[in-house]
Amino acid sequence: MNVQARNDRRRWIGIALAPILIASVLYGIGSGSVSISVPEIWRIVFNEGDPAHEAILWNLRLPRVLVGLLVGACLAASGALLQGVMRNPLADPGIIGVSAGGGLAAVVALVLFPQFGYLLPGFAFGGALLSAMMIYLLAWDGGSSPTKIVLAGIAVNALLGGVMNGIMVLNSDRIQSVIPWLAGGLAGRSWPHLQFLLPYAVIGLSLVPFAAKASNLLTLGDQSAQSLGQHVERQRFLIVALASLLAGAAVSVAGLVGFVGLIVPHAIRLLIGDDYRYLLPYSIAGGAALMVAADTAARSWFDPIELPAGVLLACIGAPFFLVLLKRRRLVR
Amino acid sequence: MAEIRIEDLGSRFEHFELREISETIPRGRITAIVGRNGSGKSTLLRVLARLTKPDKGQIRYDDVPIGAYSRKEFAQLVSLLSQEKGHVPDVTVRELVAYGRAPRQSMFRYRPTPEDEKAIDWALSTTGIRHNEYRLFHTMSGGEQQKARIAMALAQESSVLLLDEPTTYLDLSHQLEIMEMLKSLNRKLNLTIVMVLHDLQQAAAYCDHLIAMENGRVAVSGPPRAVINRRFMLNVFGVVAKVDLRGDYPIIIPIPQPVKEESSMVIVTNVSQITKGSGMLLIERFNKAGKVEGMKGFLGLEVMLTENTKEYDEVTVSTRWETKEDFQAWTKSEAFRESHAHRQTPEYILSNKIVFYDVKVVRQPLEQVESPSA
Repeated sequence: MNVQARNDRRRWIGIALAPILIASVLYGIGSGSVSISVPEIWRIVFNEGDPAHEAILWNLRLPRVLVGLLVGACLAASGALLQGVMRNPLADPGIIGVSAGGGLAAVVALVLFPQFGYLLPGFAFGGALLSAMMIYLLAWDGGSSPTKIVLAGIAVNALLGGVMNGIMVLNSDRIQSVIPWLAGGLAGRSWPHLQFLLPYAVIGLSLVPFAAKASNLLTLGDQSAQSLGQHVERQRFLIVALASLLAGAAVSVAGLVGFVGLIVPHAIRLLIGDDYRYLLPYSIAGGAALMVAADTAARSWFDPIELPAGVLLACIGAPFFLVLLKRRRLVR
Repeated sequence: MAEIRIEDLGSRFEHFELREISETIPRGRITAIVGRNGSGKSTLLRVLARLTKPDKGQIRYDDVPIGAYSRKEFAQLVSLLSQEKGHVPDVTVRELVAYGRAPRQSMFRYRPTPEDEKAIDWALSTTGIRHNEYRLFHTMSGGEQQKARIAMALAQESSVLLLDEPTTYLDLSHQLEIMEMLKSLNRKLNLTIVMVLHDLQQAAAYCDHLIAMENGRVAVSGPPRAVINRRFMLNVFGVVAKVDLRGDYPIIIPIPQPVKEESSMVIVTNVSQITKGSGMLLIERFNKAGKVEGMKGFLGLEVMLTENTKEYDEVTVSTRWETKEDFQAWTKSEAFRESHAHRQTPEYILSNKIVFYDVKVVRQPLEQVESPSA
């Protein structure tokens, strides 16, 4: 790829992401057991639409789409940040224990204390952040190293996953409510979920641009970054903390949606290269659009059955990603 | 411009250790750190670059202790070209060189100031890669990439440049180009350059000062042409070499020496005393016996005839084996039995004695120690 091709691709993909994002929002609002056309959406916005459709739009579709946008954006941003700071293309929000910690906390909440089910997002969020912190502490040895964080992450994930499975096996009569959550999806997500997610997502996403430069310098290697005057340990900690916040917030409302955090930043990287000044915003837009589109497809394609979005993402996204992988070099 | 003083330095990093190092690295000069693998060269450079905190002693840049600088101040004073092969993002050469401005920018600033642009232009021109500034870093050859990395370090506009094996992995022409470039930077800008080098000829040709490391200590330091000689090569590198520093480019030719070898074997001798003059009879008889050459572990065979002044002669057959078991296997083999079973001892054999020797063989090159005057 020469520089002209790279710049062209950056520009065109940047331009293309805006209509893709709008299209996925319209698709999300318009599709479902009752379809609402774009002109009708327009009329509803100006208070001239069918009251029944208006109710569907305001109470069901719009909050769900907004939650989807934020969840996708948070997961993709988190994955992009972690892949950079860990210098590991396989890193995703799962690697810092966010999924395992959030998952265990959710299972505890849903299975052992079902009377507090309404506290689920807070519970999962706390679990996600706690396990991320635990992994970081375990990997600390006078300093942090990406390899150690990844290895500590694997160990903690295995431990938490084991405990989670144990709780589920011992309470197998009560895990019905947990399974959709573990598969990840946005079924039934509405304004309260948005309300929970919004502050963390807004704070997290608005901090992401500040991590771009540090991410670029950290990929050069610890020594190089340090000799460029960077406080490597502090930056690595802050970036991991930011990634945990983003992924924890997403997981807490959407459950264990895999894939978005791993694949979106990867796909964007394959298309435009890994300069974080571009990779981060493009991943955020791509993750948001993909999450909404996948959730909408998952609930409307198989109507009246609603698949968890995570299932559809894995089934369609993985082959698509493999095609992309075949066509381009992954890592130089 | 900075003079670097190392005072009684001691440091452990991973399994490398530095001990009792006191040196002064001259201001505005090129200094090479040389030594065998594991001698502590790179560890010393790490300490100089403040990547590792020394356990003991002090390093001063211009009389200021190394710890007194803030991160950014230090990065404005000292730049490092490490050997680390981290991942360079998909950026153009110019964008990479712009990273060198990081110590002089805030974390959140992306747009370079006119001053930054000037420094970047200068670094690109100085390293001769201005014409490639808009090429992607990854599309360039290894030598050109190294120049881009050096340009990034130069864009820091520091007065001290530390380099860890800057010419390793480069072809010969790029090696020379890089060394020439460093030399001219040093002469024009009075940069203090310290580099770890493996190539002693390059060190002798381009450096003003040499620090030779051995086992974490400084073995010797001084101007390369005064320090490097046959004795130095033997003591610091354990290599016998021909050293000729008279010409334009120093010539150091290593002379390969046999390495120390150790092996063991078993020698079995069969000494027969025989009546005088019948030696050839017995030897012919041995010639017919057995196919010992094909046996496992067989190393060789000698037959010696000693014609004594005494009343008998002696025939010694000695066979060499890798192990005693190999010899015993031979005595139990079909071939051995065939050749010994149906034959009577001829009457000219007076007596017969078999001896085993366990032998350890050590081949060691002779130490070539020269007189100091050589």
